[in-house]
Amino acid sequence: MKRITRIVTPFVIASFTMSSMPAMAAPSAVADGLVTTQEAMNADGATADRERIAELLSRDDVRNQLIAQGVDPAEVEQRVAALSDEEVRQMNERLDQMPAGASVVGVLFAVFVILLVTDLLGLTNVYPFTR
Amino acid sequence: MTSRSIPSARWSGALLFLVLSVLLSGCATTPPLSEKTRASVPERHVIEEVPFHGQRDYQCGPATLAMVLAHGGRPASVDELIPKVFLPGREGSVQPEMLATVRRHGLIPFVIPGMMDAVLQEVGAGHPVAVLQNLSLSWLPVWHYAVVIGYDLGEESLVLHSGETPRMTVEMGRFDATWARSERWGFVALAPGDLPASPVGRRSAKAISAFESVQGVEAALPAWRALAERAPELALASFGLGNALAATGDAAGAVRAFRRAAESDPEFAAAWLNLGLVLRSLGRTEEAGRALRRAAAIEDPLQSRARSALDSL
Repeated sequence: MKRITRIVTPFVIASFTMSSMPAMAAPSAVADGLVTTQEAMNADGATADRERIAELLSRDDVRNQLIAQGVDPAEVEQRVAALSDEEVRQMNERLDQMPAGASVVGVLFAVFVILLVTDLLGLTNVYPFTR
Repeated sequence: MTSRSIPSARWSGALLFLVLSVLLSGCATTPPLSEKTRASVPERHVIEEVPFHGQRDYQCGPATLAMVLAHGGRPASVDELIPKVFLPGREGSVQPEMLATVRRHGLIPFVIPGMMDAVLQEVGAGHPVAVLQNLSLSWLPVWHYAVVIGYDLGEESLVLHSGETPRMTVEMGRFDATWARSERWGFVALAPGDLPASPVGRRSAKAISAFESVQGVEAALPAWRALAERAPELALASFGLGNALAATGDAAGAVRAFRRAAESDPEFAAAWLNLGLVLRSLGRTEEAGRALRRAAAIEDPLQSRARSALDSL
Protein backbone atom coordinates (compact mmCIF):
# COMPACT_ATOMS: atom_id res chain seq x y z
CA MET A 1 0.00 0.00 0.00
CA LYS A 2 2.77 2.36 0.99
CA ARG A 3 4.61 1.60 -2.24
CA ILE A 4 1.52 2.23 -4.32
CA THR A 5 1.03 5.56 -2.55
CA ARG A 6 4.61 6.47 -3.25
CA ILE A 7 4.18 5.70 -6.94
CA VAL A 8 0.77 7.33 -7.31
CA THR A 9 1.34 10.47 -5.22
CA PRO A 10 3.57 12.32 -7.69
CA PHE A 11 1.03 11.78 -10.47
CA VAL A 12 -1.82 12.98 -8.29
CA ILE A 13 0.12 16.09 -7.36
CA ALA A 14 1.14 16.70 -10.95
CA SER A 15 -2.39 16.35 -12.28
CA PHE A 16 -3.85 18.65 -9.65
CA THR A 17 -1.08 21.13 -10.14
CA MET A 18 -1.57 21.27 -13.86
CA SER A 19 -5.34 21.49 -13.73
CA SER A 20 -5.80 23.97 -10.94
CA MET A 21 -2.74 26.14 -10.50
CA PRO A 22 -2.20 28.18 -13.65
CA ALA A 23 0.32 30.50 -12.05
CA MET A 24 2.81 28.63 -9.89
CA ALA A 25 6.01 30.21 -8.65
CA ALA A 26 8.46 30.29 -11.52
CA PRO A 27 11.37 27.87 -11.30
CA SER A 28 14.51 29.60 -10.25
CA ALA A 29 16.90 30.67 -12.98
CA VAL A 30 20.03 30.49 -10.84
CA ALA A 31 19.76 27.48 -8.52
CA ASP A 32 17.68 24.34 -8.10
CA GLY A 33 15.68 23.34 -5.08
CA LEU A 34 15.24 26.74 -3.45
CA VAL A 35 12.60 26.96 -0.74
CA THR A 36 9.79 29.08 -2.18
CA THR A 37 8.45 32.13 -0.37
CA GLN A 38 5.03 30.48 -0.02
CA GLU A 39 6.64 27.45 1.63
CA ALA A 40 8.62 29.59 4.04
CA MET A 41 5.47 31.42 5.08
CA ASN A 42 3.87 28.28 6.43
CA ALA A 43 4.79 28.22 10.08
CA ASP A 44 6.41 24.78 9.88
CA GLY A 45 8.71 25.67 7.00
CA ALA A 46 8.18 23.03 4.38
CA THR A 47 4.88 21.80 3.01
CA ALA A 48 4.61 18.05 2.95
CA ASP A 49 3.13 16.37 -0.11
CA ARG A 50 0.13 15.38 1.95
CA GLU A 51 -0.65 18.97 2.87
CA ARG A 52 -0.13 20.03 -0.70
CA ILE A 53 -2.81 17.55 -1.84
CA ALA A 54 -5.15 18.67 0.94
CA GLU A 55 -4.73 22.26 -0.16
CA LEU A 56 -5.41 21.45 -3.80
CA LEU A 57 -8.49 19.46 -2.82
CA SER A 58 -9.64 22.40 -0.76
CA ARG A 59 -9.34 24.60 -3.87
CA ASP A 60 -11.63 22.07 -5.54
CA ASP A 61 -14.11 22.41 -2.67
CA VAL A 62 -14.14 26.18 -2.96
CA ARG A 63 -14.69 25.85 -6.70
CA ASN A 64 -17.75 23.66 -6.06
CA GLN A 65 -19.07 26.02 -3.40
CA LEU A 66 -18.81 29.00 -5.75
CA ILE A 67 -20.69 27.11 -8.47
CA ALA A 68 -23.35 26.21 -5.90
CA GLN A 69 -23.62 29.93 -5.08
CA GLY A 70 -24.47 30.66 -8.70
CA VAL A 71 -21.09 31.68 -10.11
CA ASP A 72 -20.71 31.04 -13.83
CA PRO A 73 -18.62 27.83 -14.19
CA ALA A 74 -16.60 29.56 -16.92
CA GLU A 75 -15.46 32.17 -14.36
CA VAL A 76 -14.85 29.87 -11.40
CA GLU A 77 -11.42 28.62 -12.42
CA GLN A 78 -9.83 32.06 -12.53
CA ARG A 79 -11.61 33.24 -9.41
CA VAL A 80 -10.20 30.38 -7.37
CA ALA A 81 -6.74 30.73 -8.90
CA ALA A 82 -6.52 34.34 -7.71
CA LEU A 83 -7.05 33.38 -4.04
CA SER A 84 -4.07 32.82 -1.74
CA ASP A 85 -3.77 29.51 0.15
CA GLU A 86 -4.88 31.26 3.32
CA GLU A 87 -7.93 32.75 1.63
CA VAL A 88 -8.86 29.35 0.20
CA ARG A 89 -8.77 27.96 3.75
CA GLN A 90 -10.96 30.77 5.06
CA MET A 91 -13.48 30.35 2.23
CA ASN A 92 -13.58 26.62 2.79
CA GLU A 93 -14.07 26.89 6.53
CA ARG A 94 -16.71 29.56 6.66
CA LEU A 95 -18.05 30.89 3.38
CA ASP A 96 -21.58 30.61 4.80
CA GLN A 97 -20.89 32.95 7.70
CA MET A 98 -18.69 35.37 5.81
CA PRO A 99 -20.11 38.86 5.54
CA ALA A 100 -21.13 39.53 1.96
CA GLY A 101 -20.98 43.26 1.37
CA ALA A 102 -24.09 44.08 -0.57
CA SER A 103 -26.25 47.05 -0.19
CA VAL A 104 -27.57 50.05 1.61
CA VAL A 105 -31.16 49.20 0.70
CA GLY A 106 -33.50 46.36 1.55
CA VAL A 107 -33.74 46.59 5.33
CA LEU A 108 -36.96 45.09 6.72
CA PHE A 109 -39.62 47.59 7.63
CA ALA A 110 -40.22 45.83 10.95
CA VAL A 111 -36.96 47.13 12.33
CA PHE A 112 -37.28 50.52 10.69
CA VAL A 113 -37.98 52.26 13.96
CA ILE A 114 -35.11 50.68 15.90
CA LEU A 115 -32.64 51.53 13.19
CA LEU A 116 -34.07 55.03 12.93
CA VAL A 117 -33.34 55.54 16.62
CA THR A 118 -29.85 54.04 16.39
CA ASP A 119 -29.18 56.15 13.30
CA LEU A 120 -30.18 59.26 15.19
CA LEU A 121 -27.86 58.21 18.02
CA GLY A 122 -25.02 57.93 15.54
CA LEU A 123 -24.53 54.19 16.01
CA THR A 124 -25.68 53.04 12.57
CA ASN A 125 -25.79 54.54 9.10
CA VAL A 126 -28.81 53.00 7.35
CA TYR A 127 -30.97 56.01 6.47
CA PRO A 128 -29.16 58.92 4.83
CA PHE A 129 -31.93 61.39 5.80
CA THR A 130 -31.05 61.17 9.51
CA ARG A 131 -27.90 63.18 8.97
CA MET B 1 -53.73 55.82 41.64
CA THR B 2 -50.59 57.95 41.56
CA SER B 3 -48.96 55.82 44.24
CA ARG B 4 -49.35 52.77 41.93
CA SER B 5 -48.29 54.36 38.66
CA ILE B 6 -44.95 55.67 39.95
CA PRO B 7 -43.31 52.27 40.53
CA SER B 8 -44.65 50.95 37.20
CA ALA B 9 -43.18 53.95 35.38
CA ARG B 10 -39.92 53.29 37.15
CA TRP B 11 -40.00 49.65 36.03
CA SER B 12 -40.73 50.48 32.44
CA GLY B 13 -37.95 53.02 32.50
CA ALA B 14 -35.55 50.37 33.79
CA LEU B 15 -36.76 47.94 31.13
CA LEU B 16 -36.26 50.49 28.35
CA PHE B 17 -32.77 51.18 29.65
CA LEU B 18 -32.01 47.45 29.69
CA VAL B 19 -33.33 46.93 26.15
CA LEU B 20 -31.37 49.90 24.84
CA SER B 21 -28.14 48.84 26.48
CA VAL B 22 -28.49 45.34 25.02
CA LEU B 23 -29.27 46.74 21.59
CA LEU B 24 -26.64 49.40 21.58
CA SER B 25 -23.58 47.56 22.76
CA GLY B 26 -21.29 50.07 21.14
CA CYS B 27 -20.60 53.70 21.47
CA ALA B 28 -20.56 56.45 18.92
CA THR B 29 -17.88 58.61 20.46
CA THR B 30 -15.05 59.78 18.26
CA PRO B 31 -12.44 57.02 18.06
CA PRO B 32 -9.13 57.83 19.72
CA LEU B 33 -6.33 58.91 17.42
CA SER B 34 -2.76 58.78 18.56
CA GLU B 35 -0.96 62.10 18.98
CA LYS B 36 1.63 60.81 16.57
CA THR B 37 -0.95 60.38 13.82
CA ARG B 38 -2.48 63.78 14.51
CA ALA B 39 0.93 65.37 14.20
CA SER B 40 2.02 63.47 11.11
CA VAL B 41 -0.99 63.78 8.79
CA PRO B 42 -2.38 66.97 7.26
CA GLU B 43 -5.32 68.59 9.08
CA ARG B 44 -7.68 67.73 6.23
CA HIS B 45 -7.27 65.96 2.93
CA VAL B 46 -9.53 64.72 0.15
CA ILE B 47 -8.13 62.59 -2.67
CA GLU B 48 -9.87 64.46 -5.45
CA GLU B 49 -8.97 62.15 -8.30
CA VAL B 50 -10.84 59.03 -7.10
CA PRO B 51 -13.58 58.54 -9.72
CA PHE B 52 -17.03 57.69 -8.41
CA HIS B 53 -18.85 54.54 -9.53
CA GLY B 54 -22.40 54.27 -8.22
CA GLN B 55 -23.69 50.86 -7.21
CA ARG B 56 -26.77 49.21 -8.64
CA ASP B 57 -28.76 46.60 -6.72
CA TYR B 58 -26.31 44.66 -4.56
CA GLN B 59 -23.16 45.65 -6.38
CA CYS B 60 -21.26 47.73 -3.83
CA GLY B 61 -18.35 45.24 -4.01
CA PRO B 62 -17.76 45.65 -7.74
CA ALA B 63 -18.40 49.42 -7.51
CA THR B 64 -15.84 49.77 -4.69
CA LEU B 65 -13.30 47.78 -6.72
CA ALA B 66 -13.94 49.90 -9.81
CA MET B 67 -13.08 53.02 -7.82
CA VAL B 68 -9.84 51.78 -6.22
CA LEU B 69 -8.66 50.08 -9.43
CA ALA B 70 -9.22 53.23 -11.48
CA HIS B 71 -7.31 55.28 -8.92
CA GLY B 72 -4.47 52.74 -9.05
CA GLY B 73 -4.26 53.16 -12.83
CA ARG B 74 -5.99 49.89 -13.73
CA PRO B 75 -9.51 51.00 -14.71
CA ALA B 76 -12.21 48.33 -14.99
CA SER B 77 -15.95 48.75 -15.41
CA VAL B 78 -18.48 47.61 -12.82
CA ASP B 79 -20.04 45.31 -15.44
CA GLU B 80 -16.70 43.67 -16.08
CA LEU B 81 -16.08 43.20 -12.35
CA ILE B 82 -19.45 41.69 -11.42
CA PRO B 83 -18.74 38.19 -12.83
CA LYS B 84 -15.32 38.26 -11.14
CA VAL B 85 -16.39 39.03 -7.59
CA PHE B 86 -20.16 38.93 -7.08
CA LEU B 87 -21.68 35.83 -5.42
CA PRO B 88 -25.27 35.49 -6.67
CA GLY B 89 -26.21 33.04 -3.91
CA ARG B 90 -25.17 35.53 -1.23
CA GLU B 91 -26.32 38.64 -3.11
CA GLY B 92 -22.99 40.19 -2.24
CA SER B 93 -19.22 39.89 -2.39
CA VAL B 94 -16.93 38.32 0.23
CA GLN B 95 -13.62 39.77 1.49
CA PRO B 96 -11.17 37.17 0.08
CA GLU B 97 -12.61 37.60 -3.40
CA MET B 98 -12.39 41.38 -3.16
CA LEU B 99 -8.65 40.98 -2.57
CA ALA B 100 -8.32 38.30 -5.26
CA THR B 101 -9.96 40.54 -7.86
CA VAL B 102 -7.55 43.38 -7.10
CA ARG B 103 -4.69 40.92 -7.74
CA ARG B 104 -6.17 39.84 -11.06
CA HIS B 105 -6.11 43.47 -12.16
CA GLY B 106 -2.42 43.92 -11.43
CA LEU B 107 -2.55 45.82 -8.14
CA ILE B 108 -1.53 44.49 -4.73
CA PRO B 109 -4.23 44.56 -2.03
CA PHE B 110 -2.73 45.35 1.40
CA VAL B 111 -5.12 44.86 4.32
CA ILE B 112 -4.42 47.75 6.71
CA PRO B 113 -4.26 47.60 10.52
CA GLY B 114 -7.80 47.95 11.94
CA MET B 115 -7.39 51.42 13.40
CA MET B 116 -8.66 54.85 12.46
CA ASP B 117 -5.02 55.98 12.53
CA ALA B 118 -4.25 53.69 9.61
CA VAL B 119 -7.16 55.05 7.56
CA LEU B 120 -5.97 58.62 8.05
CA GLN B 121 -2.35 57.71 7.30
CA GLU B 122 -3.38 56.06 4.02
CA VAL B 123 -5.74 58.81 2.90
CA GLY B 124 -3.17 61.43 3.90
CA ALA B 125 -0.66 59.65 1.65
CA GLY B 126 -3.11 59.66 -1.27
CA HIS B 127 -4.26 56.03 -0.97
CA PRO B 128 -8.06 55.62 -0.99
CA VAL B 129 -9.13 52.93 1.51
CA ALA B 130 -11.76 50.31 0.65
CA VAL B 131 -13.65 49.43 3.84
CA LEU B 132 -16.23 46.87 4.91
CA GLN B 133 -18.94 48.29 7.16
CA ASN B 134 -21.99 46.87 8.85
CA LEU B 135 -24.28 49.86 8.52
CA SER B 136 -26.87 48.29 10.78
CA LEU B 137 -26.60 46.36 14.07
CA SER B 138 -24.61 43.21 14.65
CA TRP B 139 -27.72 41.01 14.92
CA LEU B 140 -29.24 42.52 11.78
CA PRO B 141 -26.27 43.06 9.52
CA VAL B 142 -26.29 45.26 6.44
CA TRP B 143 -22.80 44.64 5.06
CA HIS B 144 -21.50 47.32 2.80
CA TYR B 145 -18.28 48.20 0.97
CA ALA B 146 -17.31 51.83 0.47
CA VAL B 147 -14.20 53.89 -0.26
CA VAL B 148 -12.79 56.42 2.20
CA ILE B 149 -11.37 59.27 0.10
CA GLY B 150 -10.92 62.05 2.62
CA TYR B 151 -11.07 63.30 6.21
CA ASP B 152 -11.17 66.47 8.24
CA LEU B 153 -9.57 66.29 11.68
CA GLY B 154 -11.08 69.58 12.85
CA GLU B 155 -14.62 68.53 12.00
CA GLU B 156 -13.91 64.92 12.99
CA SER B 157 -15.42 63.66 9.77
CA LEU B 158 -14.60 61.36 6.85
CA VAL B 159 -15.49 61.65 3.17
CA LEU B 160 -16.66 58.44 1.47
CA HIS B 161 -17.70 57.34 -2.00
CA SER B 162 -20.49 55.06 -0.84
CA GLY B 163 -23.43 53.34 -2.52
CA GLU B 164 -25.13 55.85 -4.76
CA THR B 165 -23.59 58.86 -3.01
CA PRO B 166 -20.31 60.45 -4.07
CA ARG B 167 -18.41 62.42 -1.43
CA MET B 168 -20.65 61.53 1.48
CA THR B 169 -19.55 63.19 4.72
CA VAL B 170 -19.82 60.94 7.79
CA GLU B 171 -18.82 61.76 11.38
CA MET B 172 -15.82 59.71 12.48
CA GLY B 173 -17.73 58.34 15.47
CA ARG B 174 -20.61 57.04 13.36
CA PHE B 175 -18.24 55.63 10.77
CA ASP B 176 -16.18 53.87 13.43
CA ALA B 177 -19.31 52.33 14.97
CA THR B 178 -20.22 50.80 11.59
CA TRP B 179 -16.63 49.84 10.77
CA ALA B 180 -15.97 48.19 14.16
CA ARG B 181 -18.64 45.60 13.30
CA SER B 182 -16.45 44.25 10.48
CA GLU B 183 -13.51 44.13 12.92
CA ARG B 184 -12.32 47.26 11.12
CA TRP B 185 -11.48 45.58 7.84
CA GLY B 186 -10.08 47.67 5.02
CA PHE B 187 -7.45 47.59 2.32
CA VAL B 188 -5.50 49.77 -0.09
CA ALA B 189 -4.83 48.66 -3.69
CA LEU B 190 -1.36 49.71 -4.79
CA ALA B 191 0.83 49.30 -7.84
CA PRO B 192 3.84 47.00 -7.23
CA GLY B 193 6.56 49.18 -5.70
CA ASP B 194 4.15 51.36 -3.69
CA LEU B 195 3.68 50.44 -0.04
CA PRO B 196 1.00 51.30 2.50
CA ALA B 197 1.64 54.43 4.57
CA SER B 198 0.43 52.56 7.67
CA PRO B 199 2.81 50.10 9.38
CA VAL B 200 4.03 47.15 7.28
CA GLY B 201 5.01 43.69 8.50
CA ARG B 202 4.63 39.99 7.92
CA ARG B 203 1.14 40.53 6.56
CA SER B 204 2.52 42.85 3.86
CA ALA B 205 4.98 40.14 2.79
CA LYS B 206 2.09 37.68 2.54
CA ALA B 207 0.17 40.16 0.38
CA ILE B 208 3.09 40.42 -2.04
CA SER B 209 3.59 36.66 -2.10
CA ALA B 210 -0.10 36.11 -2.93
CA PHE B 211 0.19 38.68 -5.71
CA GLU B 212 3.32 36.96 -7.00
CA SER B 213 1.58 33.61 -7.38
CA VAL B 214 -1.13 35.23 -9.51
CA GLN B 215 0.85 37.77 -11.57
CA GLY B 216 4.28 36.20 -11.66
CA VAL B 217 7.64 37.03 -10.22
CA GLU B 218 8.60 39.84 -12.64
CA ALA B 219 5.49 41.78 -11.68
CA ALA B 220 6.13 41.30 -7.95
CA LEU B 221 9.83 42.17 -7.95
CA PRO B 222 9.41 45.96 -7.44
CA ALA B 223 7.14 45.27 -4.46
CA TRP B 224 9.70 42.96 -2.82
CA ARG B 225 12.42 45.56 -3.38
CA ALA B 226 10.30 48.28 -1.79
CA LEU B 227 9.32 46.17 1.23
CA ALA B 228 12.86 44.92 1.87
CA GLU B 229 14.11 48.49 1.75
CA ARG B 230 11.39 49.88 4.00
CA ALA B 231 11.62 47.02 6.54
CA PRO B 232 15.23 45.74 6.49
CA GLU B 233 14.65 43.85 9.75
CA LEU B 234 11.71 41.88 8.30
CA ALA B 235 13.40 38.59 7.35
CA LEU B 236 10.48 37.42 5.23
CA ALA B 237 10.73 40.54 3.04
CA SER B 238 14.43 39.99 2.29
CA PHE B 239 13.72 36.31 1.74
CA GLY B 240 10.93 37.07 -0.76
CA LEU B 241 13.24 39.51 -2.52
CA GLY B 242 15.96 36.84 -2.65
CA ASN B 243 13.65 34.36 -4.33
CA ALA B 244 12.37 36.95 -6.79
CA LEU B 245 15.94 37.93 -7.72
CA ALA B 246 16.97 34.29 -8.06
CA ALA B 247 13.98 33.61 -10.30
CA THR B 248 14.85 36.54 -12.54
CA GLY B 249 18.49 35.51 -12.85
CA ASP B 250 20.21 37.96 -10.46
CA ALA B 251 22.29 35.50 -8.42
CA ALA B 252 24.51 38.12 -6.77
CA GLY B 253 21.47 40.13 -5.67
CA ALA B 254 19.82 36.97 -4.36
CA VAL B 255 22.90 36.17 -2.26
CA ARG B 256 22.78 39.62 -0.66
CA ALA B 257 19.05 39.36 0.04
CA PHE B 258 19.18 35.83 1.49
CA ARG B 259 22.16 36.80 3.63
CA ARG B 260 20.26 39.77 5.04
CA ALA B 261 17.23 37.53 5.74
CA ALA B 262 19.40 35.02 7.57
CA GLU B 263 21.18 37.73 9.55
CA SER B 264 17.96 39.42 10.66
CA ASP B 265 16.54 36.05 11.78
CA PRO B 266 19.38 33.57 12.46
CA GLU B 267 16.83 30.79 13.16
CA PHE B 268 15.33 31.14 9.66
CA ALA B 269 16.49 27.81 8.18
CA ALA B 270 15.04 28.45 4.71
CA ALA B 271 17.12 31.62 4.36
CA TRP B 272 20.40 29.80 5.20
CA LEU B 273 19.45 26.92 2.89
CA ASN B 274 18.63 29.18 -0.07
CA LEU B 275 21.74 31.26 0.57
CA GLY B 276 23.82 28.06 0.48
CA LEU B 277 22.17 26.77 -2.68
CA VAL B 278 22.70 30.01 -4.63
CA LEU B 279 26.32 30.26 -3.44
CA ARG B 280 26.85 26.66 -4.54
CA SER B 281 25.49 27.43 -8.01
CA LEU B 282 27.99 30.31 -8.21
CA GLY B 283 30.83 27.95 -7.37
CA ARG B 284 31.49 29.67 -4.03
CA THR B 285 31.71 26.27 -2.33
CA GLU B 286 33.33 27.32 0.91
CA GLU B 287 30.75 30.02 1.69
CA ALA B 288 27.97 27.66 0.55
CA GLY B 289 29.18 25.06 3.05
CA ARG B 290 29.08 27.59 5.89
CA ALA B 291 25.50 28.62 5.07
CA LEU B 292 24.28 25.05 4.59
CA ARG B 293 25.82 23.98 7.90
CA ARG B 294 23.84 26.75 9.61
CA ALA B 295 20.64 25.46 7.92
CA ALA B 296 21.42 21.85 8.86
CA ALA B 297 21.93 22.82 12.50
CA ILE B 298 18.40 24.21 12.91
CA GLU B 299 15.61 21.90 14.09
CA ASP B 300 13.23 22.34 11.19
CA PRO B 301 11.44 20.23 8.57
CA LEU B 302 14.06 21.56 6.13
CA GLN B 303 16.90 19.93 8.04
CA SER B 304 17.05 16.88 5.79
CA ARG B 305 17.12 19.02 2.66
CA ALA B 306 19.96 21.05 4.10
CA ARG B 307 21.90 17.90 4.99
CA SER B 308 21.59 16.36 1.55
CA ALA B 309 22.64 19.67 -0.07
CA LEU B 310 25.63 19.69 2.25
CA ASP B 311 26.50 16.10 1.30
CA SER B 312 26.39 16.89 -2.39
CA LEU B 313 28.77 19.86 -2.14
